[in-house]
This record gives sequence, structure tokens and C-alpha cells, in this order.
Amino acid sequence: MLLEEEPVIEISGLWMNYSDRMVLRGIDLTVYRGQIIGYIGPNGAGKSTTVKIMLGLVEGYTGTVRIFGKDISDGDAAYKARIGYVPEVAEMYDSLTAREYLTFIGELYGMPHEAAEAKARRLMTLLDMERVYDKRIASYSKGMKQKVLLISSMLHDPDILFLDEPLSGLDANSVMVVKEILATLAAKGKTIFYSSHIMDVVEKISSRIILLDGGDIAADGTFGELRERSAEGSLESIFNRLTGFDQYRDIAGDFVAAVMDGEAR
Amino acid sequence: MNEYYSLKLLDRMEGLFRRIGVDYRTMRLILQTKLTMDGRRTPTVLTANQKEANTSSGSPLRMHWMYLLFGLLLIPFVIIEGNYIFSMGLTFGMLMFLISTTLISDFSSVMLDLREKNILHTKPVDRRTLSMAKSIHILLYLLSLTLTLAAPSLLVSLFSQGVIFFLLYGICVVLLDCFILVFTALCYLAILRLFDGEKLKDIINYVQIVLSVGLMIGYQLISRLVNFSFLDSGFDPAWWSYAVPPFWFASSFELLIGGNSNQETTILSLLALVVPLLLLATYIRLMPLFERSLQKLAAEEAGGKDKGTLARTLSMLTCRNKQEATFFRFTWSMMKNERDFKLRTYPTVGLVMALPFIFIFNIVQSGGMSELKGSPGYYGMYAIAMLMLTVVQMLRYSASYKGAWIYKSLPLVPGALISRGMLKAAVLRLLLPVFAAESVIFTVLFGTEIIPELFTILLALLLYSVICWRMFPQALPFAEKYEQASRREFTGVSFMMLFIMLGMGLLHYFAAQIPYGVLVYTGILGAANVWGWQAAFGGRPARGKDMPGAGA
Repeated sequence: MLLEEEPVIEISGLWMNYSDRMVLRGIDLTVYRGQIIGYIGPNGAGKSTTVKIMLGLVEGYTGTVRIFGKDISDGDAAYKARIGYVPEVAEMYDSLTAREYLTFIGELYGMPHEAAEAKARRLMTLLDMERVYDKRIASYSKGMKQKVLLISSMLHDPDILFLDEPLSGLDANSVMVVKEILATLAAKGKTIFYSSHIMDVVEKISSRIILLDGGDIAADGTFGELRERSAEGSLESIFNRLTGFDQYRDIAGDFVAAVMDGEAR
Repeated sequence: MNEYYSLKLLDRMEGLFRRIGVDYRTMRLILQTKLTMDGRRTPTVLTANQKEANTSSGSPLRMHWMYLLFGLLLIPFVIIEGNYIFSMGLTFGMLMFLISTTLISDFSSVMLDLREKNILHTKPVDRRTLSMAKSIHILLYLLSLTLTLAAPSLLVSLFSQGVIFFLLYGICVVLLDCFILVFTALCYLAILRLFDGEKLKDIINYVQIVLSVGLMIGYQLISRLVNFSFLDSGFDPAWWSYAVPPFWFASSFELLIGGNSNQETTILSLLALVVPLLLLATYIRLMPLFERSLQKLAAEEAGGKDKGTLARTLSMLTCRNKQEATFFRFTWSMMKNERDFKLRTYPTVGLVMALPFIFIFNIVQSGGMSELKGSPGYYGMYAIAMLMLTVVQMLRYSASYKGAWIYKSLPLVPGALISRGMLKAAVLRLLLPVFAAESVIFTVLFGTEIIPELFTILLALLLYSVICWRMFPQALPFAEKYEQASRREFTGVSFMMLFIMLGMGLLHYFAAQIPYGVLVYTGILGAANVWGWQAAFGGRPARGKDMPGAGA
């Protein structure tokens, strides 16, 4: 990493509270080009809130968020043209066909109609979805919807990608394709913000891992660095240790007991 | 995607939009997409397997027959000669009433929609453009609805009153639409600023109910005024008439066509022009604030704990079958928690609460309170039937309609028991409380001797609920997405149901004229209820009896 390089994302002293509860407690984060960041943490740790703040979906935070060197709090939405987003829940206008939806999204990102249409078709074909291009999204399977979401986030060749569980619902072959796409994009200098609960994937794909717990950054570094610090084997066990969770066996045992008890009666 | 005529008309105003800082091309794109989507049905879990033909598209700006019919009623007012204040005041009053109630019940959810946030707000589009697109989207529907309403009288006025009248009427209608839309939006904005979280959502609900009821009473007030004011043709506006928008618009006719240019009329006419434009300007200025405040609705908070003791007790008392009782409780808690449902039904609750009183208002006005006792005014309670008309239609819709897959995956006995549990819950949760409240007030007003009659009315209402259920297409509870288009298909049935309601009231009235008539009528109703609540749901289920009681 060159020192004089300008950071793509720069967050300092980010605090956020929802009515009574603190969600983020002073996050500091600097991200450079070409990084794939595995953004992990237990439910409610503040992962999606951070991403939503960067996308301008949530306001009322304190601290500064600079993207492409520009403070985003001034209300100018132009920076979003260089960002792609795959939300956790597959929200789409699913009464449209993939052609209509993707072209619409492309145009919102400022692409000309024909260019957006042609590119959408090409990307759909590459992901083996050509035959459903003119069918309504509502009729798609979960994996197909996820592919459309992925395409819609990359259609305009963004410099930053925010992906929230981007592999959910995809079959094993598609997972390999998408992982390879992400690695290649990062090699070309794109920044990828990857949040997921599936530790194996995060471990393999990320060049840097940020673990969030209770609104704080609990760990930040490459997988190797994290492993050195905690002397544990997998990211999963590092995750468990850093978030202070060690009773999974007991809970599982009790759960199964409760399930079987209901059946016996 | 289609090209819409309405959008081509909008293109004429491109410059205007640019001047107020709206990215016109993007806004047009969003509108075009939304109109395309509106024309399509969202297939639900349960209809997905049906033939494609059923999900074909219909134009979102299709004719609304119900409104055209209302529109015909307006014709007499534009024909009569004389004082414009009253004829047009009444016309605008009726227009305003119908448009506002539709806006509040059907378009509030669009106005306060958050679902598209992830799709649109993550794109490089500024807030002003987004909220403008939203407002224009609603305004297009409002205008199409208003045009249907006003079209018959507009046409007639062109021939009976001339071109100037026609043009003025047209302009006033557009201004009225803008006024209603912006006023409602500003009301919501004020609430959004003042309150937080769950309370905010509840307050919005209450405001909608209060607005609906207020509008209705306001409309009644205007028509009362006309009754005696036709006697003296001179219009002497009282202080409060400055606060009644229909009078503003009506005054402009008096000023520009009637040639009555006294000070009051001039001020009122100016209000018709200035207030909508002023509110519009304020709204455009505050639009980004509106979008930002909407985020508050997204904040999640844990709902209050409810053990459901009441629902469990009631379901045990009313349902013998376990599955029926389960659906009773399910419907009960959904009705309690689902805001979309409350948003569309509670204004009707307010309406039916007020309707019987409006009915007896005439009697009181002509003869005073003493006239009330012994009069058949309590037949107004039949209006409560309208509540079931709405509820039965609405029970099939839900914002979380996608959850309906459970019906397919569970080992359910299809049909009858689900429906009956559902209908019983609706009757107990909505119909009976309203009926009880009205009964108490009416007993005070009319005296205790109407109590047997109230019992008869209750039986009629219960029977009506079953008929309602039978007449509308069968559906599972909370399993479909609410869409304007699909609801319009029910217009015909709704009309018929209104006549059935009137018929029941009339039967009661005539039965009261002959000795023992009411007794016979009550007996028939009782028997019909016993039969109806069994037969309407496909007969007694085979396993119904030997199942253990609910929740035991």
C-alpha cells in the first residue's frame, strides 16, 4: 500500500444511536483501492448501519464519513454513481422483467438507455440467465434474483461495491464464478465491502477482515494477523472467541432436547 | 415499457420542473417505471400457479365506474341557475370529500412508503427528484380519479353555462387536487417531525381516522347550510366560511361569472388561488425534509408484549374446532398489528360510527330532540353493515402477503374452518364493539324500548357479515398484495351489498308496520343466521365435532 495514496473510504469517530440504543460507538476506518474487506460481526453489531450510513440511507450520525475524499453529509448524491450495492434482502421491483429492471437501474446510474440494455443482456447471458431475461423477476428462484441483484450492482462499473450476503441462494457453481469475479475486480483496483455470516467464505476471499462487536471494531487485519493474535484455527473460532461466545455445544444440546420433547408428547 | 399519455402531457412542463431543481429525465424514468408496474399484477403465492392469462396487465388509469356514478350526481348542481356559492360550494364539497378520503385510505401507504428505499435512495438521484416523482405519481392518480368524478358535470356545464364556466371549473378542480395532496402531505410531515417510532405510526393512523370523520361532518355541514340559505339569495359569509375550502372555489364563480364583486367574495376567491399555490411552494421547499423524516418510520422497536388472553378466551367461546380457533386468533392478532389493514379499515370504522348520527340529524333538525323518541331514526344503525363490507374485502390483503406460503405447507383442512374463524374474529373485534358503542348511545337517545329492535338489528348485521363473505371471491386471510386494480373488481359486488343493506333496513321498517311483524322478522333472521353460518362455509366439516376444544 502506497502511503501517498488517497483512501477511498475514510470514517472517523462514527457514532450512531437509534432512539435509546447505541449502534455504533466511535468507528474509525480507512479503506484503500483494491481491498476486499470482510466485514463481520454478530447480529446487531452495527454492520448494516455502517453500510447504510455510507450509502446515505441513514442520517443522524455524528463523526465524519468521507468517500472518494468528499464528505457525504452535504446531501449531494453524485458520489453514489460510483457505488454498487447488494442489500441483504432482495428488494426489487419484481413485477418488472429483468430487462426492464436492469435498464431502469442503469439509467438511474446515469447510463444511456441502449448502453444499459446491451450491458444488462451481456451480463445476464454470462450468468446463464438469457432465457429469463424477458420474464418477470417475481417468477425467478432465489438464486436467480440474487444474480439480478449482483448484476444491478455492477452494471455501471462502480469503484466501490457494498455486498451484504451476496452469495445467498446461489448454487455452488455460481458461487465460484462470483468469488472469482470479486477477486478479479479487486485486482483491477475496485474496493469491495463484503459482509457475511459465512466465515469460511470471508476467510478465503478477504484481504482484510474487520470484526465488529457491539458497535466497536474488535479486530482489524488480514486473516493471518488475526490468527496470530488469537492462536485459533479458523475464522469461525476466532469470531467466537473475540465475541466471547463459547457455549454453542450447550445451546445446541438444549435445543435438540426441546425439539424432541415436543415430539414425544 | 409503455409510453404513457400522461407522461407526454407532463413533458410540456419540463421547464417548470427544472426550475425548482428537479432532474426531469430521472423523474420521468421513475414515473414511467412505476406506471408500468402499477399495470401489472403481483402474483401471490396462491395464484402463482394459475394461468398466465389471469395476470395480464390492465391500465392503471382505467375507468373507475363507482366514481363516474358519483360524478353523475353532480350534474344537477351545474345546471341550476342562481347563487353559485351554494351550488358550486356543494359540488366542491362533495369532490373534496371523495378525493380526500380516497387519498387518505388508498394513497397514504404510497406517500409513506419505505420499501423502495434500498432501490432508489442508493442511486445518485437527489431527494427532491425522488419525492417529486412520488408526488406526481400520486397526483396522476388523483387527477384521473377527479376527472372521472368531474367529467359528467364538466361536460354538461360546457353546454349549460358556457366556456368560461367550463374553464374555471376545470382550473378549480386541478387546484383543489393540488391543495388536498399538499395539505395531506404537510400534515404527515408535521406528525413525522413531532413524533417518533411506533407512536408515530399509531398517530398517523389516528389522524387518518380523524381526518376522514372530520371531512364527512364538514360535508354534512355544507349541505345543511344550503337548505336554508337558498331562501335568502344574498350570501353573507360568516367568519368560519373562510376556513371551508369549497367556499373559496365556489366564490370564484360568484366573482368572475356572477359578477358579485363585494369584498367577502373577492377575499374568498383569492384564497382559492393563493392558498393552494402557497402550500405547494412550501411543500416543494420542504420535500427533502419529508423524505428524510420518513426514515423515522423505518426505526424498529419491539412491540408491546401481549399474551393474547382475550383472543384465546374468545376463540374458545366461539369456535368448537381447533383449526377454526387457531385462525380466529391468527386473524385477531393480524388485525391488531398490521398497520396496512388498520389504515384501510379504521377510517371506515370512524365513518360508520358517525353515519347513524347523520341519519338522525335530519330528524333532530326538523323537530328537535323530542321528535327523536318514537321515530324510526335508529334504523340508521344498519349503516354499521358498511364496516363489514370493507373488512371482508380487506382481510385478504397484507403487506406481508408473501408469508402466505405457510397455508400450503401446513397440514390444513382447506376452506371452511379457516374462513369461519377469520370472519368470527372480524365480527368480534370490529363489528361488535362498534355496535355496542352505538347501541348505548342510541338507547340513551331513543329510550329503552328500542332494545329489542337493537337485537333484531344485531341479528341482521351478523347475517349480513356472512352474506358479505359469500358474495366476495373467496380468499385466505392476509394472502394477497393490496392493489388498487384488484380492488376495483369488487365494485359491482359492493354496490349490490349496499342494496342488500338498504333492503334489510327497509324490511325491518315495513315489518314494524304490521303487528308481530318485527317478531317474525327477528325469527327469520335468527334462523337464517343459524343456517347461514353453517352453510356459507361449505357445511359442517366432517371432523368438526369430535375435535377437542381450542387451546385446551
